[in-house]
This record gives sequence, C-alpha cells and structure tokens, in this order.
Amino acid sequence: MKTCLIVDDSRVVRKVAARIVRDLRFEVMEAGDGAEAMRMCREKMPDAVLLDWNMPVMNGLDFLRSLRREEGGARPLVVFCSIENDAEHINEALRCGADEFIMKPFDADILESKFAEVGLV
Amino acid sequence: MQEEVFNELADLALKSSGQAIPKSKSYLIEARLAPIARREGFGSMADLVHCLKSRANPIFAAEIAAALVSKDTWFFRDRDCLQRIVEDVLPKRLKASNTGRLKVWCAGGSTGQEAYSLAILLADEMPPALRGAKIDILSTDICKVATEKARIGRFGHYEVQRGLSIRRLIKHFTRLETGQWEISEDLRSRVSFRQHNLLESAGGLGKFDVILCRNVLSSMAKPARKRVVESLAEQMMPGAMLLLGNGENLIGITDKLEPARDFRGGWVAAGTANAEASAA
Repeated sequence: MKTCLIVDDSRVVRKVAARIVRDLRFEVMEAGDGAEAMRMCREKMPDAVLLDWNMPVMNGLDFLRSLRREEGGARPLVVFCSIENDAEHINEALRCGADEFIMKPFDADILESKFAEVGLV
Repeated sequence: MQEEVFNELADLALKSSGQAIPKSKSYLIEARLAPIARREGFGSMADLVHCLKSRANPIFAAEIAAALVSKDTWFFRDRDCLQRIVEDVLPKRLKASNTGRLKVWCAGGSTGQEAYSLAILLADEMPPALRGAKIDILSTDICKVATEKARIGRFGHYEVQRGLSIRRLIKHFTRLETGQWEISEDLRSRVSFRQHNLLESAGGLGKFDVILCRNVLSSMAKPARKRVVESLAEQMMPGAMLLLGNGENLIGITDKLEPARDFRGGWVAAGTANAEASAA
C-alpha cells in the first residue's frame, strides 16, 4: 500500500483529507507542521505528500526545499494544498519542486483528479 | 416530488431533448431546476410546473428543458480518447482530405471543457503531421446559458481543478478578481460555440471530420438516440469518425454507422470500416 503524508496545521483539514486519501487506498501519516513532517520523512519517506503552505514552525515551502535536498527526498510526489492560489505562489511552489497544486477549498473529486494527474492513482 | 409533477417535467425533457429521466432519478430534476425555482421564487416544483402550464411561455419552457439536461463535464474527461484524436485520428483525416483544413464538432459539449481540452492539446502537443493545418472546433449545446458560459471561457474554482493540471491552468488561464479563471484569448479563438438542439437538423452546421458526442446518448430514450445519431451521421464527411463515450454504442440503434476497426468508441459510415483498415 502506498503511503501519503498529510501536512497541515489544521486538524480538521487533515481529518477531511485523510478520509479521502484512505478511500484512494493510501496508508495515511499526519504532521501538523513542516518540521514534524521532515522528521517523519527522515524515518520513512512517503510516496506522496499533501502539503499546506502556511504553518507554524516550518512552512510548506521551506519543508519542500528541505525535502528535495534529503537523500531519497526527490522521490515523493508532492501536491501542494493551499489557499495561496495566485499564479505567483503556484509558480513558486512548482519551482521549489511541487508536482501538483490544489487550491483550497477542495473536495474528493479534486483531490483524486490531482493525484491522478501525477500518476498516484 | 408528486407523481403528476414528475410526469410533467419528465415529459417535457423527453419531448424537448430526448432525455429519458426515470422516476428513480427524480432528484436530478429537483437539482437541475433548483436554480430556476429559486430565481423565480417558486416554493416547490409543483409551483414551477403550474407556472409552466399557465404562462405558456415558449422561452421559459425552453429554459426549463435545457436546464433538465446534464451539464456534467470536466477538462480532459477521458484524456486517452482526446489524445488519440489529436495524435491519430486528425492526422489521418488531414492526409485524406487534401484541403489542409479539419473540422471537429463537440455535440452536446455543455460548458465547453471538452472543446477547450482539445484546443489545449493542439496548442501544447501539436503532432508534426498536423502542423500548418487549420483546425476548426465547434461545440454546441442545447442550453443557452451553458453555451454562453463556454463562449466567455470563465470557469470556477472547482471546474478548473477537475482534470486540468496546475501547469496547464497557469499556462492557459488567468485568475480574475472574482476568483474565476479565464481561458486565454488564443484558445478562445480556436473554438466556436453555438446553441443547438441535437434533435433538430444540424444541416446548418456543415460537415465534420470528427464528431464527439460523448456521454450524451446514454441518457436519451432509444427513439431520440436514433434520431440524433442519424442526424450526426448526415454531418459526417466521407471517412469521418463519430466518437461516443465509454460504454455507449449504436448496436440496435442505427445501421448507418459501424464500429471503427482501430478506435474503440469510434463509429464510421457503414461499409467503410474494413476499407479504412486495409487502406491504413
């Protein structure tokens, strides 16, 4: 079973996303900020990361930059999931190594469509 | 929904657009007509039907009829099919035509996502065999509102995130202050839109190399399917292909078309599938 790390400081968003991602047959891990997510990636690199932008301690962009520098960190497919949905932010996320981008709010159709876009489902 | 009310609306759908809405799907009627009911201040579907009958206003009736047709569509719905049209079907048609021009019709194209997806593919991944060709894409729908929305090319937050990659969104769309995303003028100029009821003659639309009528026939009653398909067949140039949705077929509907040999879901003029296969 593939693994997906959901990184978001909102417990509600994590809960909603986890339910959808589990329905897509992923094993789900959760982190409340980028630093916690980084520690989890060092223990076990996930297949996919669903990543919020604005979070305390370490934001999504800094996490992504760090992840891509880690050994094996190029492998996870990273789908940003943020309310920062103007072209400038989206382009910055892509430049930093994001594979896809979901603009919040999202639903199951959108999440599945975006996962399909990068070959996760 | 009361049986009498359902029967009135289902009958209107059948007569005006060929849609067969079973009683078990009466919720579809409520969902599709809810915006009109709200706008007009009707407290129930019964009020709407009462008004429909008492006003005898053909414009209002046509609006109701159009609203009863499914608008469900998304960008790159069945991407493989669209990809094969661009990479395989259109180059073959161009080679056969000698005019340097190709015409594609998205029949029942709703709010335009299918036509725009084709235009995006042609813009991003134009095969060498199609370079220099003039490719006209027409999308038609029974619904005036859907056709107008398609023509304007503005899509909402959810619409642009179903089937469209973020790179294509950023490349081909601009975010407006309203939060909507507007497709580029270049792509808008590649597609034209017209309101058209598939039950009516399509003679005025001209002849086409490829007709997509995907996920439209499956919701129609059998006599309507026959009428629509035979009308579409009339608009196919010699050697043209009609493409239906997954799981849709014409067996027992018409003998004017037969399955294309090398394209699942493709239909060609009867008696030509074998000839085309051997020519290819």
